[in-house]
Amino acid sequence: MLSASTLIKNIATLTLALSLPLTAIAHERYILPSHTVLSGEEAQSVSFIASISNAIFHGDKPLGDNGKGVVPQKLAPLFKRLKAVVISPDGVSREMSWQAFSRFSVADTQLQQSGTYRIALVQGDVPMTTFIKADGKKGRFFGNKGKVPSGATNVVKRTTASRVETYVSFNDPNNTALLPTAKGLELSGETHPTDLFVDEALRFQLTYLGKPLHKATKVKVVQGATRHRNQRDEAIIATDAQGKFSLTLSQAGFYLLSANIDVKGKAGSGIDIHHHSLYATLEVFPQ
Amino acid sequence: MKIHLSVLAILACTCLLLVSPNSFAQQISVEITIPKIKVQPYHKPYVAVWIETRKRQGVHTLAFWHEQKDWFKDVRQWWRKIGRQQKPAYDQVTGATRKPGTYTIKISSKELTALNLSPGEYFLNVEAVREEGGREFIRQKITLGASEIKQYEKSGKHELGKVTISVTP
Repeated sequence: MLSASTLIKNIATLTLALSLPLTAIAHERYILPSHTVLSGEEAQSVSFIASISNAIFHGDKPLGDNGKGVVPQKLAPLFKRLKAVVISPDGVSREMSWQAFSRFSVADTQLQQSGTYRIALVQGDVPMTTFIKADGKKGRFFGNKGKVPSGATNVVKRTTASRVETYVSFNDPNNTALLPTAKGLELSGETHPTDLFVDEALRFQLTYLGKPLHKATKVKVVQGATRHRNQRDEAIIATDAQGKFSLTLSQAGFYLLSANIDVKGKAGSGIDIHHHSLYATLEVFPQ
Repeated sequence: MKIHLSVLAILACTCLLLVSPNSFAQQISVEITIPKIKVQPYHKPYVAVWIETRKRQGVHTLAFWHEQKDWFKDVRQWWRKIGRQQKPAYDQVTGATRKPGTYTIKISSKELTALNLSPGEYFLNVEAVREEGGREFIRQKITLGASEIKQYEKSGKHELGKVTISVTP
């Protein structure tokens, strides 16, 4: 599996047509909301932080920009592919404005309607080709313009896509914004993602293209503040054949839930594997 | 005769001063195991092995395996005691990160003598940190200057396996 860091590096290399020194770019991604549950008669605001970072909920690299921020050259091609959206409780999708700073991106949103909002940074399919070179070393390139060197074997045409999101409820939560957009891998299920409490069974389901994921996969759940623990304490949960999984958490806090799938491309589509990843930030409250 | 005796006495004292208290012929060897960890992606850990005084002053780095300087601060205990001030200098003992396996790190009696340490108790520290993984810190009190072989065994739970420290006269 190729990491997002590799992806970023390679997009950058392709775009700049330069061979830059490969620096490590961490590859977990998240959006951290100031609040996930709000109440009141007047409109409320929520602020968000988004980052590419292995230190969960501590920023490392920004994720997303509106053209006014500080964008590292290497991340610019990735940011161009990101769609920043907020889906309102009535199901209407609007564009969101993120601004990049050195270590994270920041955004604000106003909540007028009561109900649940879904805030997402979505990266559509990025084409990528991987192969084994004649000398046995791994090779790859991004985009459609690269050339597979002669003598290369195991040539695989791929796409990679990702969705990074979180959920906020103003007054009474509803489910409209949570309905699958039917693009890539998404989170769904019985439990409302802004109604999470410790010691209660949380039941979710992964969907792919808007339908239950008919494929057993693994979901990773990690509590924030990994920087302040010696162990990451990641829980790996297997889904059933409908993409369903459940978990019970014993500590309140923000959690990052993530999942990845590889889907075989349709015959004749020219793509062998479609890779999709999902990162969802959840807030869990004490009893 | 009197003069001769006092000269001898001075010579004897000088010799004692030269030999003691800072001189003891010993070598330290530290055998550490980096365990195999089945994760994807796996990054080889940054590892530091160093000596501190009982008052937690950095004395000497025996080994520091690393990749990029950006991550040195994540070897947190070593960083605060030695790394961030680069004192005592450690550039002689650095190397690339190692794959899982068992490694022996040694400091010869000649090198140890050059550090001019007093005999007594010190701490031998081993710290391992893995990108996208965990961190482990092992700390063992050791005695330098003893006349017999001393061996200490510790065991890590996550990022380090068995750690065996031998201090040999």
